[in-house]
Amino acid sequence: MEDIEETEDLEPLFDYRRVQPHVICLNDDKSPASSPKRRKTSKTHVGKKIEGEKKEIAVVNCDDEEDWLPPPPKVLVGVQNQLDEDSTIKEMRLKKQELLSVASSAEDVLRGMDESAKRKSGSSLQASLETSLAAVAEQPSKPPCERAKIVIQVQDKDGTKQFRMYMDDKLERLFKMYADKVKLDFQNLVFTFDGDKIGPTATPGSLGMDDEDMIEVHEKKS
Amino acid sequence: MSGGIARGRLAEERKAWRKNHPHGFVAKPETLPDGTVNLMVWHCTIPGKTGTDWEGGYFPLTLHFSEDYPSKPPKCKFPQGFFHPNVYPSGTVCLSILNEDSGWRPAITVKQILIGIQDLLDQPNPADPAQTEGYHLFIQDATEYKKRVRAQAKNYPPVI
Repeated sequence: MEDIEETEDLEPLFDYRRVQPHVICLNDDKSPASSPKRRKTSKTHVGKKIEGEKKEIAVVNCDDEEDWLPPPPKVLVGVQNQLDEDSTIKEMRLKKQELLSVASSAEDVLRGMDESAKRKSGSSLQASLETSLAAVAEQPSKPPCERAKIVIQVQDKDGTKQFRMYMDDKLERLFKMYADKVKLDFQNLVFTFDGDKIGPTATPGSLGMDDEDMIEVHEKKS
Repeated sequence: MSGGIARGRLAEERKAWRKNHPHGFVAKPETLPDGTVNLMVWHCTIPGKTGTDWEGGYFPLTLHFSEDYPSKPPKCKFPQGFFHPNVYPSGTVCLSILNEDSGWRPAITVKQILIGIQDLLDQPNPADPAQTEGYHLFIQDATEYKKRVRAQAKNYPPVI
């Protein structure tokens, strides 16, 4: 009996061992598939949000292209891979949406600041006329530090450098920063925008510049 | 309205240009006396390539876009009498990519046009002459041709 028991015990054990390696292999194959599933479920909420955002996004060309990208080659790639690709695209969309929302919230903040600034200036006039302190107290007494900012590219013969500054700040400051950076005398440089020399009192706002617009630097020939 | 397409595209070209363009080049739509911008005519500057006889010259070029742009290419004009084998006496540039029937594609950008013309300056195409003087000197008298090119570059110094 003992002998029989031993063999009976052994046989199933051996059977399992034979099977197990196969099972492990399958697991290896499936493991990437399982994570996309998890991702997929988490993305379903996002998908709805994105649909809402899409209408706004549709204007930009590259976004349209992304929307056309998803269907991967079905013949070559298995269903699992397809899931993978879909999920990465969804991830990208999620990121894009986050960025958009950040940008729009920043705009909202700016708009809010603008409005509050306007209200403030308007009301401060009233307040001074009526000397009603209560009206002043109601206004948010934030300092006007939230000025519009802009990124400007400065291009010389070797490449471009990016600078961040305020829309209403004199570009002369940027020129001096640039001159320091490239170790050239600011007096020997000419900065142009749209082919015109930029005067020392000009600001990005006064030139009607947009974010990431480019200024060219030329060295004066003496 | 086809003009809407042309203007829309030109507005995009303008935006892209302001954010990125080759050094020394200028390209901007003309501003009318009343301050409004006419996107259909662009005033450009093409710098002569360094290391060539064209170096030091900043050549004015005007692009005239039609309502059919970008299906049709813009007409590109140097000043009248510009010295170059492939420039007509009127100043119009003769270049394959600017020809509706040969090299033009709607996807060609203003930047590509201007770079293409800069390349043409130092690499004339003798198979497609547009003026007799420039063509004959280029073919027959290399030294005189060189001289004329250098003299012309001096005539168009940098504006700034």
